[in-house]
Amino acid sequence: MENFYEEIAELLEVDSVSGQETLLSFKCWDSLTILSIIALADDNYGITLSTSEINDSKTVDGLKNLFIQKKS
Amino acid sequence: MENSCYNPISLAGKKFFISGAASGIGRATCILLSKLGADLILADINQKGLEETVSLCKPTDVTVVMDFSQSGVIKEHLSSLVSVFGKLSGCVHIAGKPYISPLKSINSATALEVFQINTMTALELSKVFASRNISVDEGGTIVFISSVYALVGSAANVGYSMSKSALHGITKALSIELAPRKIRVNCIAPGFVKTKMGDSISHFFTEGHDEKIREMHPLGLGEPEDVANAIAFLLSDMSKWITGSIISVDGGFTAK
Repeated sequence: MENFYEEIAELLEVDSVSGQETLLSFKCWDSLTILSIIALADDNYGITLSTSEINDSKTVDGLKNLFIQKKS
Repeated sequence: MENSCYNPISLAGKKFFISGAASGIGRATCILLSKLGADLILADINQKGLEETVSLCKPTDVTVVMDFSQSGVIKEHLSSLVSVFGKLSGCVHIAGKPYISPLKSINSATALEVFQINTMTALELSKVFASRNISVDEGGTIVFISSVYALVGSAANVGYSMSKSALHGITKALSIELAPRKIRVNCIAPGFVKTKMGDSISHFFTEGHDEKIREMHPLGLGEPEDVANAIAFLLSDMSKWITGSIISVDGGFTAK
């Protein structure tokens, strides 16, 4: 998970992210970005996420926790 | 007039190689071809699925576990199989891997793996099949399975689409190259068919997506058998003047 913030920042099309930022606050937050996160989770972490799980995670750290929870 | 036994789509006495035989369209195809009298070599990475499929075909049919993500796997297995089984009249590449990813998350390694399974394996299979050691002297027939997404655009599908549209190029090019050998090369572009492969990517989509997909097909979603029927036709002599064709079997998806 050491590159998590960098990977998410790239998908959110910003230079960097902080854990408290809400996902909805990002300009590019849309269905394609959510699909990108699902694809990233599958390709890089071998986990399966759903759209609703991602939406429910609310913040960048919420998303990180979801990844950690699914990986464990 | 005695015509009660006339069956122009009979495949009796013909031998075929089918990739992706363990489930879905591949399984439905094997069952149908078997009913039509064909002898089969069934290939897939899923041994359990292969065993289930062959139990629904003829006991003399042969199964072989192959991992199509590895190049060279067909050449490695097919020569020895054919020396026992006999030369082939045709082959069908049904094995495939979906890949849902928007452009910004596309992963080169995954895209290449999808391309290997969906596309390069088709090319490799064609190369091996076209050898006079593998195919029957009177020619033969090759069938690929592409997708409606090789014909129309779809967001988050670029990796899959490029692998499937490349099959259209292969179909056209090889149909010309192999025509002097009387080997026909055709491709079926199916719409959405209810299969395990479709289920494997369902987590990408929100509620209501299934309904949207259904609405894109004027005749509703397809069954694996709908595609199998078209494959049987293309393998049979009923299609002996058809080569280089991309046939849409999509419930009207691309008619809109």
